[in-house]
Amino acid sequence: MKPLPLQVETKSPFKVNSLIKTKKFSDYLWGYVMIAPTMFGLAIFYLWPILQTIYFSFTEWGSFGTFQWIGLENYKLMFNDSDLFQSIKNTTIYIIFTVPIGIFISIIIAVLLNQNIKGKSIYRTLYFLPVITMPAAIAMVWKWLYNGDYGLLNYVLSLIGIKGPNWVTNPDIALFSVMVVAIWSGIGYNMVIFLSGLQGIPSTYYEAARIDGAGPIRMFFKITLPLLSPVIFFVSIMSMIGAFQVFDLIFMMISKSSTALENTQSIVYLFYQHAFILNNKGYAAAIAVLLLIVILIITAIQMILQKKWVHYE
Amino acid sequence: MKKNLSILMIVIMGLLVLAGCSDTAGSSKDGKVEISYGFWDKKQVPAIEEAIKKFNEKHPNIKVKTELIPYGQYFQKLETAATGGALPDVLWMNGAHVVQYAEGKVIEPLSEHAKKDNYSLENYPKSLIDLYTVDGKVYGIPKDYDTTGLWYNKKIFDDAGVPYPDENWDWAKLKETAEKLTNKEKGIWGFAAVMGNQGGYYDFIWQNKGYIVSEDGKSVGFDKPEAVEALKYNISFIEEGLSPTQAQMAETAAGDLFSSGKIAMMFDGPWMVPEYKKNKDLDVTVVPKGEQRAVSIHGLSNVISAHSKQKEAAWEFVKFLGSKEVAEIYAKTGTVIPAYNGTQEAWLKSVPTLNLQAFIDGAEYAYPLPSAKNTGAIWQHETDILKKAWSGEESVEEAVKELSKKAEEELK
Amino acid sequence: MEKSVQSMKRKSLLIHFILILGSIAMIIPFIWMILTSLKTYAESVQVPPVIMPSDFQWSNYKEVFVLLPFFEFMFNTFIVTVLRTAGQLFLCSLAAYAFARIHFPGRNVFFIITLSVLMVPGQVFLLPQYMIMVKLGWLNTLQAIIVPGLFSAFGTFLLRQFFMGLPKELEEAARLDGCNHFQIFWKIMLPLAKPGLIALGIFTTLWSWNELMWPMIVNSSPEAMTLSVGLSSLQGQYATNYPILMAGSFLAVLPMLVIFFILQKQFIEGIAISGGK
Repeated sequence: MKPLPLQVETKSPFKVNSLIKTKKFSDYLWGYVMIAPTMFGLAIFYLWPILQTIYFSFTEWGSFGTFQWIGLENYKLMFNDSDLFQSIKNTTIYIIFTVPIGIFISIIIAVLLNQNIKGKSIYRTLYFLPVITMPAAIAMVWKWLYNGDYGLLNYVLSLIGIKGPNWVTNPDIALFSVMVVAIWSGIGYNMVIFLSGLQGIPSTYYEAARIDGAGPIRMFFKITLPLLSPVIFFVSIMSMIGAFQVFDLIFMMISKSSTALENTQSIVYLFYQHAFILNNKGYAAAIAVLLLIVILIITAIQMILQKKWVHYE
Repeated sequence: MKKNLSILMIVIMGLLVLAGCSDTAGSSKDGKVEISYGFWDKKQVPAIEEAIKKFNEKHPNIKVKTELIPYGQYFQKLETAATGGALPDVLWMNGAHVVQYAEGKVIEPLSEHAKKDNYSLENYPKSLIDLYTVDGKVYGIPKDYDTTGLWYNKKIFDDAGVPYPDENWDWAKLKETAEKLTNKEKGIWGFAAVMGNQGGYYDFIWQNKGYIVSEDGKSVGFDKPEAVEALKYNISFIEEGLSPTQAQMAETAAGDLFSSGKIAMMFDGPWMVPEYKKNKDLDVTVVPKGEQRAVSIHGLSNVISAHSKQKEAAWEFVKFLGSKEVAEIYAKTGTVIPAYNGTQEAWLKSVPTLNLQAFIDGAEYAYPLPSAKNTGAIWQHETDILKKAWSGEESVEEAVKELSKKAEEELK
Repeated sequence: MEKSVQSMKRKSLLIHFILILGSIAMIIPFIWMILTSLKTYAESVQVPPVIMPSDFQWSNYKEVFVLLPFFEFMFNTFIVTVLRTAGQLFLCSLAAYAFARIHFPGRNVFFIITLSVLMVPGQVFLLPQYMIMVKLGWLNTLQAIIVPGLFSAFGTFLLRQFFMGLPKELEEAARLDGCNHFQIFWKIMLPLAKPGLIALGIFTTLWSWNELMWPMIVNSSPEAMTLSVGLSSLQGQYATNYPILMAGSFLAVLPMLVIFFILQKQFIEGIAISGGK
């Protein structure tokens, strides 16, 4: 059965195909045709805005769409912006801890929940709950857990004679408190991707390995990890990008009137401040461009490194 | 599955075409004019709907479409819409944004309209008209206002055998009573020295005869001796253990501590009436005197979009919203203090258990919140810098020096 | 033999123990949301917090329906979600297949460009997208909410990884049979990428269901409002009635819970790694 919406598209390659009988050329055409709708949509709704942002990073914004060209001024300002350096430092710490730990825990959970154990549907749903629970509820609960005077965490600590710190207002600890929540809330999300990835691993591989007498740990490292690697690669890139763009969690968990904000605010938090509070949209655009470049470089490095560890068929 | 997918695609295409038909036209079908009214407070919807109903009795040909935009996203949406020239015809404005919107020429000056119609602006507190006057032109018709009162917990006073606060109190008395009421064992603080401007340090600075922004709008008064003294007085409550610390109030909102009986006294506005009235121990009175009695006043107003295609209809609606009739509707529902002079009586009666008169008295000695082009940025600097003084990381002198420098850059 | 059965039992007990411990950490906020939705306002802001409501305030749920035209909002959200998810699954899988399986000049460049969309903060897109909607005259329409959501760099990347992992032999056999790329994609590859499609389906559904900023920016007519916008209006400027907000959130989240529960069943174990059959 031929699907309707594509009939228009399928016609032209056939015609061309009959003229130029090279398989390669038809391949090219198919490639372009198939990416065309998405590329077209992305270009209009996403790439065009990015180009505009790059342009605006060389301007100073007044209100409501008025701007003037100021060349590299915004970028020069960056070098003297101690807040920006601090936010880069915060974001880097955040990435170093949340990305690997988050991926590690999610793989373990996904593998456990991919087995034939009792109640796995319930478990999966429970682990996915943080992803679907309303952010306001999540913030409320964690603020209560972390509350220095009335929080559950410090209450439990007091039972064993420890006076707990102010988890979200102590500048030395607050970032780590946020990271715990970040890892916690990301598990369900990564778990779904890993679960779907695990479906693609043919069971015959495991059967063969079992006949060879391989134990579960060995099978995990010799079969699961390599065959899951395309998906692990995806999750690590997305987690990295997500961690670079952390904003909501900090916005919700750390009060603006807390001195811990300086030690927790991320690059995107700073972007938000400049774009929407301080009305420095030009500078905000420059921060966004900086972020784009940094992520682009790191993703490119990951792309190159993947050849060493990602196994495609 | 494949079949289903193709059907879905057809449905999508179909719906996209259909959805294109849902028009949003601004103007006439059968001679009717439609205007949109943007605001954020869900609690005021019943009053607004009643006002529109009354409005339509007089102007049956003007249809008002309401647009409720939640407060958390209100100004971001407005800014986007204003850039695209698509603001609602009539909308709520606050003091922090009016200068930016007026100077950006996205809202309509109303002075001309008022003059033409002989519409009197004397029916509202002058401080509110001033708040919405930019370069000599009035941009908004005041809708409501807030001042500050001294809220207190009667039970804590009774337990300690201390008389309730009254209009004779001054700063010394406030401090002295806070000392008496603070009870470390029970976890009760005498006063909450909240780090907030309206109903917080602004009020204290004015009480000490200081100022926030100079008359010419070019400099700030945070580093003047009056302001420094006021800030120090404010912070001394924390230093002496009479108030929760800055970190504690960042973790647990002072308002929650107060309504839970952990705080004996605090400054707060009438906007907390719906919440505080649920605790029968709470009441409110006028703020204590410093060098003088003073509070902040702020109010919202209705403004008209400069891009509106229906300015005449919009002006009719704004006039009506500013009328005594609508003020009375508001007063009756008890959600806000209506700005129209003399209509506050009904508001007082809406919660007879509380001494709400304190807030109306406030209008007599009130200072309008300063408004500049980048008010939001100045507030941001205040929070970022003053919190260091509030938490004891920096001295008040150091903090105000940095704050004045940053704030004055924003005023340029 | 007996020994191995015993050790297996012990192992599965251990697994359950770990999973239950984790589940408790996962479920607390959700339970909190439900408990809060049954409290009085005073209880919800009480310090120190009360965990159990003294008296279940079921009326909070009634209040949600008084304050919001809940089912209308849910219907709008439903339409937006279904169309976006279906459209995205189709368009993304199409592009993902090409990126994974067809060699054409500029493929890597196009792919990097696609990924770059993910690398700037989402807030960057709001204003330019809004201006496009103004130009198209699409303000206050449903397609303004739907159309930008049909295209997803995330989805394209995710599905590309799935197609990359599929065996080449199937494809080669099909090509020998004279299938063109679309036929291979549609008949052979797409069914094999089902787990990926389900994962993407779960996420797209969830994101469309919860999206707040964009629907609010392009849409101001109450008739076309989505649920998340409606819920957000329950959050006040100074104080929020958390019990009602949580009651509304709980009702809004329920369909997602059901959908997830159903969809995740599609993840049938590839194989039991230890124990099992």
